[in-house]
Amino acid sequence: MIVDGLYYTEEHEWVKIEGNIATVGIADHAQEALGEITYVELPETGKEVTVKGELAVVESTKAASDVYSPLSGTVTDVNDALEAEPELINQDCYGQGWIVKIQVTDTGQVEQLMDADAYKKLFEDD
Amino acid sequence: MQYTSKRFEFTVPEARPQQSALYSRHAALAEPSRIVPFAGYMMPLWYSSITDEHNAVRTAAGIFDCTHMGVLEFSGPQSALFLDQLTVNNVMNLKTGRAQYSQVLDGTGAVLDDIIIYRKSEILFMVVVNAANDAKVQTWFKGVIAGDIVIDEPNAKPITEMPKMRNLREPSSGADCRVDIALQGPASKDILLSLVSDDNAKDQITNMRSFAFVETAIGNADVPFSTTGYTGASVAFEIYTHPDNACYVHRMLMEKGEHLGVKPCGLGSRDSLRIEAGLPLYGHELAGKHNISPIEAGYGWAVKLDKDCFVGKTAMVENHNSHTMKVVRLSLPGRKGVRPVREDDAVLDEQGTCVGWILSSTNVAKTQIALAYVQKDKCSIDDAASVYYLARSQSQAAKGKLQSTDLGQQLAADIDGTVLTRFERF
Repeated sequence: MIVDGLYYTEEHEWVKIEGNIATVGIADHAQEALGEITYVELPETGKEVTVKGELAVVESTKAASDVYSPLSGTVTDVNDALEAEPELINQDCYGQGWIVKIQVTDTGQVEQLMDADAYKKLFEDD
Repeated sequence: MQYTSKRFEFTVPEARPQQSALYSRHAALAEPSRIVPFAGYMMPLWYSSITDEHNAVRTAAGIFDCTHMGVLEFSGPQSALFLDQLTVNNVMNLKTGRAQYSQVLDGTGAVLDDIIIYRKSEILFMVVVNAANDAKVQTWFKGVIAGDIVIDEPNAKPITEMPKMRNLREPSSGADCRVDIALQGPASKDILLSLVSDDNAKDQITNMRSFAFVETAIGNADVPFSTTGYTGASVAFEIYTHPDNACYVHRMLMEKGEHLGVKPCGLGSRDSLRIEAGLPLYGHELAGKHNISPIEAGYGWAVKLDKDCFVGKTAMVENHNSHTMKVVRLSLPGRKGVRPVREDDAVLDEQGTCVGWILSSTNVAKTQIALAYVQKDKCSIDDAASVYYLARSQSQAAKGKLQSTDLGQQLAADIDGTVLTRFERF
């Protein structure tokens, strides 16, 4: 499932832009590939992040995957619910399974991301 | 010409995964994305959830597709001697109507598979082998029968009349074809009782003596069953049906068990149940990258060193005298939010010294149960034991987490637990 109106990265992170706040999670393809998610290592709020820098780690029964920051900025909020219920990412990766919110330094960086249509094309090429 | 004393190398030929005999049931009961290739078959990981299915087996009953497992038949007057010399346990003492846990080794002591042997008569045996090892074990047995592999273990008795081996999952076995469906958990008894009609079978089910083998029928389908399993359940059955009747038997078990809370169970709960019970999985707690011997795995009782001869005996005598490692079962905190331990994470003693590594682990309620390979003189029951998490992602490695550890290394514990009994029955 790919949600319209969101932006995506080649590493299958999704980004929702509201003003200068970006909400970040992992896309359906990524949660499906990881399988049953058992642990999420979240960053501290206030952490400075850069494009493609480390943001979080999502571990499943099968694998562990670094989540990279799609944009540069400061982490303003993390989804604490994932500590007790990491499976929220499996159940609702675009909703309750969001991972962090970032205050974006340069909203122009969004242009480097794929929109839903461009992201869908990644799968058509397979 | 090959000899049993040499390492038996075997590569499983690549093949497209097949549909198991119960595939149409899985397709009807599980989400398509949950049906995955496993040991050459498309098998369900889970139907409802791993936890749900795990709990069903502990409190009610669960049905498992084991139709991918190898089912072989050996017949002929010297079948017992043949199996006695090619497996670690004592087949000569195995009585008709009884089953036995055993292992097949090569002469170097490498485990080719762990198996169950059923004695159907003085001269007729059924042997159930792991799906992943089916082709290998058949090649090994066939080689010995054909005389291409010669038993050169000391004190081997000559087998003058080799048994006839049949693969009971091949259509060529006709009406004798058999596949395995497991029914496990406390409610299994009542479910099976409601399906069989003959008194002997009812009697055997009621008395539930482990490792019995009973010939009976469900409806018009001949189905021998055994009181065996791989979940640690004290009430446990494996039902051997003709593949054409497999879906019928599965449906009947579901129907008769519905009001008792029976659940179809996938590979996920199978793994968590067997870990909780301390049972080994070939390639993890037996053989595998640590080359774990049956004695190290906790199955020394099945390795009958007092037999005159079995292939691998010389190596097992040596292993019995000199092994330094063993498999243990650990309990660690596992409530939500606790990072799960993984295969290869280091096990530490109270001083923070690495004494071994995690092999398998699972979450059961608020506890993680893990099986680990540790130094023999460490990790006694009730001892404290901790675990050091290895780096699992690039960012963790960049922060200084190690990607491998050695025995004796000093490490900082990430999570503290205790050593449990080696096995547990439920």
